[in-house]
Amino acid sequence: MLNYIIRRALQIPLVLFVLSLIIVGLMQLLSPQQRAAAFITSDKQIEHLDQIIEKYHLDEGFIVQYKLWAKEVLHGNLGFSRISKEPVTATVRKKLPASTELALSAFIPIVLMGIWLGTLAATHRDGLLDQVLRVVAIIGWSLPTFVVAIWLVAWVYGGLGWFGIGRLPNSLLIDLATGNFHPHTGMFTIDGILNGRLDVTWAALVRLVLPATALVIVVSAGIMRVMRSSMLDELGKDYVRTARAKGLPEGRVVYKHARRNALIPVITMAGPMLGRMIGGIVVIELIFNFPGLGEWAAKAALQLDMNTLLAFVLLIGLIMATVNLLVDIAYVVVDPRIRYE
Amino acid sequence: MKKHLLKILALGLVGSMAFAATGPDTYVQMTYGEVDSLDPAQAYDTASGAILENIYETLYTYKGESITEYEPVLATDYSISDDGKTYTFKLRRDVLFHSGNRMTCRDVEYSIERLLVTNPGDSAGWFYAESLIGYDGVNAKDYFGDGASQADLDKYWQAIDDSVQCVDDYTVQFHLIKKDPSFFVKLMYTASSILDSKYAIENGEWSGTKADWYDWAGKDLREGFLHNHDAGTGAFKLVKWAGKDVIAERFIGYWDYANKPQMKTVIIKVVDEQATRIQALKAGDADRITVNDRATLETQIRGMANAKVLESDKWLGAAASAVFFNQKIAAQDNPMIGSGQLDGNGIPADFFTDVNVRKAFAYSFDQDAIIQDVYLGKAVPLTMALPPSFLGYDPNIPIYNVDPDKAEEYFKKAYGGKLWETGFTMTIAYNSGNTTRQTVAEILKQNIEALNPKFKINVKAMPWPQFLAAYKNGQLPALVLGWGADYADPDNFIYVFYHSNGYFAKKVGYANPEMDKLIEEARSITDPAKRAALYSKVGRLAYEDVPVLPLPRPTGWMVLAKNVYTKGAPAGMDVYNNPMRSGSFLWKDIIKK
Repeated sequence: MLNYIIRRALQIPLVLFVLSLIIVGLMQLLSPQQRAAAFITSDKQIEHLDQIIEKYHLDEGFIVQYKLWAKEVLHGNLGFSRISKEPVTATVRKKLPASTELALSAFIPIVLMGIWLGTLAATHRDGLLDQVLRVVAIIGWSLPTFVVAIWLVAWVYGGLGWFGIGRLPNSLLIDLATGNFHPHTGMFTIDGILNGRLDVTWAALVRLVLPATALVIVVSAGIMRVMRSSMLDELGKDYVRTARAKGLPEGRVVYKHARRNALIPVITMAGPMLGRMIGGIVVIELIFNFPGLGEWAAKAALQLDMNTLLAFVLLIGLIMATVNLLVDIAYVVVDPRIRYE
Repeated sequence: MKKHLLKILALGLVGSMAFAATGPDTYVQMTYGEVDSLDPAQAYDTASGAILENIYETLYTYKGESITEYEPVLATDYSISDDGKTYTFKLRRDVLFHSGNRMTCRDVEYSIERLLVTNPGDSAGWFYAESLIGYDGVNAKDYFGDGASQADLDKYWQAIDDSVQCVDDYTVQFHLIKKDPSFFVKLMYTASSILDSKYAIENGEWSGTKADWYDWAGKDLREGFLHNHDAGTGAFKLVKWAGKDVIAERFIGYWDYANKPQMKTVIIKVVDEQATRIQALKAGDADRITVNDRATLETQIRGMANAKVLESDKWLGAAASAVFFNQKIAAQDNPMIGSGQLDGNGIPADFFTDVNVRKAFAYSFDQDAIIQDVYLGKAVPLTMALPPSFLGYDPNIPIYNVDPDKAEEYFKKAYGGKLWETGFTMTIAYNSGNTTRQTVAEILKQNIEALNPKFKINVKAMPWPQFLAAYKNGQLPALVLGWGADYADPDNFIYVFYHSNGYFAKKVGYANPEMDKLIEEARSITDPAKRAALYSKVGRLAYEDVPVLPLPRPTGWMVLAKNVYTKGAPAGMDVYNNPMRSGSFLWKDIIKK
């Protein structure tokens, strides 16, 4: 097992290397003029195309571009982000915890609800409950994220004045910026506890409610559907029939035996979902004014900010590789028959 | 019990959040567009300017709403030598920086010399360099390239060193290379904010000496200390800016603390999504929000219980744009001019050199349609390419508007009548998504094609990079270009639009010696009345010569919470709005009632 983990961990740098080659390569598909044009936002700079190309070495070939970047990275310098106007690493230090906090606050309810409702649907197969859940799932699945998000912001926040947007209320923002609050983890829910400031933890939690709800509405359906079909599969298998024949109570059959095995596809699906949620909930971040990685990267893509894009892709690559490794380990925990050699 | 707990939790969550308005001494503004840099020598955008004008100060500044009246800030008095080349400022003696250091002449010298030393290509340094040292307004690295000799560099440094001199601790002198009536207002732009030299040097910024000046030439200051640290004297000091939101608080040591700001804290939040900004205003989390378009303003903001829309047809901003006629279109491989001949299938490269063509276009330009289609009826036509609040704007010059008879008359005169007989085909391009450029092109097409079936104008959408390239190569026959003021002097517009060497005019090959003479004369004298008369002449000549067609200016608006006012608001208005302030008004003047 340990061997396997080490081998998998060693693959990560290779994955990151290839990812960075792809990004630099994709950028090269655009002409230097096209890339430089992304820098020009007003008529005053309309003549500056050539200076920009020269300054950022945009007319250099793939190898030179890659070398320029890689040389700095090997010295621990991921470069300056044009989008966030500070070194890339400084931005990541702030936005990664924010995104993780939001992703986790949605991920946990999504998975728990998905498993619970999926199990219910499977055990009430074709019954009323199953039908209702199926309809709800399809609705949740079909709703565009921005519709749910705007609706929550306009009705719950703007209309009723409940919860809030951003990460913290204005009063606490000022308070934390001027006081001696140590951002140990960058996640306000946890930092609040570590600093003995439960009001901060509470306020941060309150502000996670709306974006997390939007995510739960949109994403839960997937997990539920997978759980339902996987559960039905398991319930139809011989060992379940044996267990029932042995006279085991139905609850034990369903929850102890069948559900445990049915979790494998859910884990397979949930792992990468968490990774994607950390990096890719652009719309939610934008509408709830939640300063996360997704929005940052989306802007970088629109403005062709190579340093930011590369750092983002590497970070997500790293997260995905780690999550996949964790998923593999989770298989072993759920199903002891699985062994890695 | 468990259910009970959940209920309490839910009630608590909701209850703790119901409609919290911002506090009486906190001001929260939500806008889009991130601050580029808080280093005054680097920042050249309004988002940064809106912060800098509150945490830094300049020697003099604009008085209230006016851009032609000024008041001293860090200076107390000034004088100009008879030859117009030496400016002497007496400095205020009781000014503390946010660090606690006392301001002296040394700081003024450092701040302005630092501008000239660094002068990065994308900063405002160029217009200070033009007044004080020359060198085409560019920094030493860009000016000399790799070919600088030590003597060249010494000379360049000497020019910087000589340009700002301390007579004593509280008297500073600027030595200009030539007379420049704009210099005084240039000193009101945030780039010439006075920095705490001691604090800056201690933290690794330029040493203020010859020793390391060349290392700083052309440097991107976004990677330096002052990019996100504040070394100012302003009524507010920066608490935090980390790439997005800005938090600032009232500065206790402010020299004018008698006029203490009512706001204790100011937060400028970047909220990119407009719908979110609107909901935040509604929920009481914002005191001012940016609303991009009039349609949203009318449908969603007006009538909102706790918000107000302020507007005035005097709020025209410090910007102007115009349709340019390219008089030297690049002929080679240019599909926009078709055959490149006057044969009905194209236009010659010098098509617009015939003033009759320009006039015919001017009489095909429907100002009212632009005002309706682009600005929903809320815009004011301009007589010349200069904001109406600027010195020299002459409201009495006639304005071209659509007139098919006149248009026909001039088209028939053009090219000795040949144009009317053969007709022409040309393309007017716009960058996709730019509705102003698109509407202008479509209006011209519609009105001109209606005059003569042999007239053909194709309107073409281009992606931004292609549009830029076509502009750079001089291929666009006609296009809209806009300019925002760097400093409140008419020369900043007039030169750009009308002088043969101006940024836009040069590109479209407009050159009229008479015009150049007027503009040069106006930039060589300082008497405002005489200059105004000259600019009025420029406007009249431009009416006859039609190098450009000024576009109507949309009237501005502000969306504020109901209880927000400012000191110094003109009668009948809740706030003042100075077009040269990036944030319209200063934070220190905000009052909440």
